Amino acid sequence: MLADTGSFLDLPDGTTAQDLYEARGWGDGLPLVAPTPERVAEMLAGCPGTDPDEVVAVLPPRDGEATRRILAVNAVLAGCRPEHLPVLVTAVRALARPEVNLRGVNATTHCVAPLLVVHGEVADTAGYNGGLGAFGPGNRANASTGRALRLVLMHVAGAVPGPGDASTQGGPAKYGYCVAENTADSPWEDYAHRVGVDAPSAVTVHCGEAPHNAHDMESDDPVRILAKIASAMTSTGQNNAAISQGEYVVALCPEHAAACADAGWSPDDVSRHLYEQATMRVGDLRDAFALRAWAPWQEELADDDRMSMTERPENIRVLVVGGPGKHSSVVPSWGMTRSVTLPVEP
Amino acid sequence: MLIHEPCGTVHTPPLALAEPPPLVGATIGVLDNTKPNAGVLLHRLAGRLAERTGAVVGPVVTKNAATPCEDQVLDRLGKEVRIVLTGSAD
Repeated sequence: MLADTGSFLDLPDGTTAQDLYEARGWGDGLPLVAPTPERVAEMLAGCPGTDPDEVVAVLPPRDGEATRRILAVNAVLAGCRPEHLPVLVTAVRALARPEVNLRGVNATTHCVAPLLVVHGEVADTAGYNGGLGAFGPGNRANASTGRALRLVLMHVAGAVPGPGDASTQGGPAKYGYCVAENTADSPWEDYAHRVGVDAPSAVTVHCGEAPHNAHDMESDDPVRILAKIASAMTSTGQNNAAISQGEYVVALCPEHAAACADAGWSPDDVSRHLYEQATMRVGDLRDAFALRAWAPWQEELADDDRMSMTERPENIRVLVVGGPGKHSSVVPSWGMTRSVTLPVEP
Repeated sequence: MLIHEPCGTVHTPPLALAEPPPLVGATIGVLDNTKPNAGVLLHRLAGRLAERTGAVVGPVVTKNAATPCEDQVLDRLGKEVRIVLTGSAD
């Protein structure tokens, strides 16, 4: 017997789900797993004891109702396993928080995409990769959950290029953007607990640009390493430059994090140092941006003053991602959005 | 074979008003977020709305597109206008 909610399409023999969806303007352009009722029911087993038709969130600009069932449909399409569904549900719940400003994130001309970071036990039990190549291909949990979130944004939220997503060039992060925090190789307490989420598993959403590389192959000194990361934060092409109040995720590789920790630095020390070092001359920023969006106190600064790329150190959010090697990443936010961390709840 | 559609239902909140109130004599404010073309679009929209309803175009104020509207701007609009047009971007 079919589920008593939702709509169904007839998939004729010899036709793929991708063909059928593409004709309706759905999908991300890649092959799709056909969301049969049986597969969707199996996916929903990842959220036992919950109501599949409860509205978890309403997602703009379409104002689509994200039920667990419709999220499971998109999870099937993307190739998720049932154990990935609670992460997807939590990410959607987080994206609906007002401080994320999902309407703007989806509709802007900027290339912003939600970065989903998985923390804690579920990263291990559901197979998320926070180690070598975490931002890249080769891991089903990262790839399928990130893709499922994008499909939810396109189908449920209506973030379709053109009518619901005005991104001038789009961006590769819009296909899927999911990593785990590398807690095992981090010298510090995990990120979720540091921001006050006391749960075994958690998810952070941070709406930003694709990662900007920052490499330092030769230093054990955090000042030298962070100078390069500060350099990656101070380009005038990013949205934060014109806003100077947005968040950054700084995803340190384990070796860079260890260099900082060995020198006695905490993540907050790293944030404060980057706040002080990632600065630009105010007059140069004024010259670059007539349409800047600064706070009143920032407008009062003199041209020869230096101003940080963000309003306060707490906007620089430090965590550990990656494997061996000496490459870290800066993920500048879209600017008009705040990251959210929630406990994983089905 | 049957497969699910992926979009689900659109949320439709209950309407607060059965129909919009008459706007004859009402003052229309424009809250320009300073994005390119926002002012052009909002000014024309305010003018058309005034022509069709008998309202008058009142104050035009600006806000930073990236940050919440300042209290003094909201206070001024609250005192001087009955409806506000805003929300455009580039």
